[in-house]
Amino acid sequence: MTMTLQPVNVDTGSEDHEGCLVFTDGRLAAVLVRLSDQHAGLAGQWHYEHGFGLLESPTHPVFESLDAAQEWIRHRLNQTRRDQPSLPPVIGEP
Amino acid sequence: MSESLNSRPEQERLLRKLESIVDLSAEERQGLLALPITVKSLDADRDIVRERDRPAECALVLEGFVCRYKLIADGKRQITGFYLPGDIPDLQSLYVEVMDHSLGTLTATRVALIPHDSVRSLLRRHPSLVEAFWRDTLIDAAMFREWMIGLGRRDAYARIAHLFCELFVRHRAVRLTNGDGFDLHATQAELGDALGLSTVHVNRVLQDLRKDGLIALRGKRLTILEWDELKRAGEFDPLYLHLKSADLAE
Repeated sequence: MTMTLQPVNVDTGSEDHEGCLVFTDGRLAAVLVRLSDQHAGLAGQWHYEHGFGLLESPTHPVFESLDAAQEWIRHRLNQTRRDQPSLPPVIGEP
Repeated sequence: MSESLNSRPEQERLLRKLESIVDLSAEERQGLLALPITVKSLDADRDIVRERDRPAECALVLEGFVCRYKLIADGKRQITGFYLPGDIPDLQSLYVEVMDHSLGTLTATRVALIPHDSVRSLLRRHPSLVEAFWRDTLIDAAMFREWMIGLGRRDAYARIAHLFCELFVRHRAVRLTNGDGFDLHATQAELGDALGLSTVHVNRVLQDLRKDGLIALRGKRLTILEWDELKRAGEFDPLYLHLKSADLAE
């Protein structure tokens, strides 16, 4: 799996707008946003704003760096993929 | 050492709470105040009772702020309710012997532990207190429904506005408000654990609510500046709290 990053401006409805799109194998997988001074102790860190597919998560961790965020995403994808039972494809209703 | 509520300065708390939702006779008030209690002081972030415990007593909150919660995988926590002085959040342990969740303190808290046997004997003597406690439990269930609607269908701004409205009305019902404000003993992380939001989201919304002039938050003091606007933002209708008097709800 290859992971690429692309800077982007995000409208979070707050002062946090410096964002980053995370692509895995060319597909948009997650959006990270750099926290502004509005967040005092967390300013400058990266907030996991949203994840798609296997990266969808009810929790929104904060990472010290983009490297740390990518590591977490890689770890999570490995874990999630391993946990998936291999079910036969569903074709219509029984 | 055992004492009774009669000897405590906080004795009115339980009565105020119950009388906000039912009428009590003089005998019932007396019976409640004569319940034997053991007072326990806890620091913030301590458990009062834990999942799988089999308590032999109920905890009446005398002072402080308490949450009902469940721990899920990798140590994450979902808070499913906040409780204030006058509440008995584990009343259900009277009839459901094993705790299926935990109760913890969010600030320094004092609780009065009341033996189940004493509560049962009081309820046998005053059957209408059974109705009072049942009503309280049903209102607790109504709060869960509102929270569930919030988690499933309200955005972050509405969720927080709704919670602030609920907490304000409940604090006022037990006379723990001061003007238009009350002390909010929950951190942003704890609000997030209750509302399914990250600390970052909570922080953003709190700043929006302030910027929009709906609330002021200084230290622990939460002041509601625009009640009607806050109610509208949170789609808050106090009906589900089933307070006896309309004055308490509005």
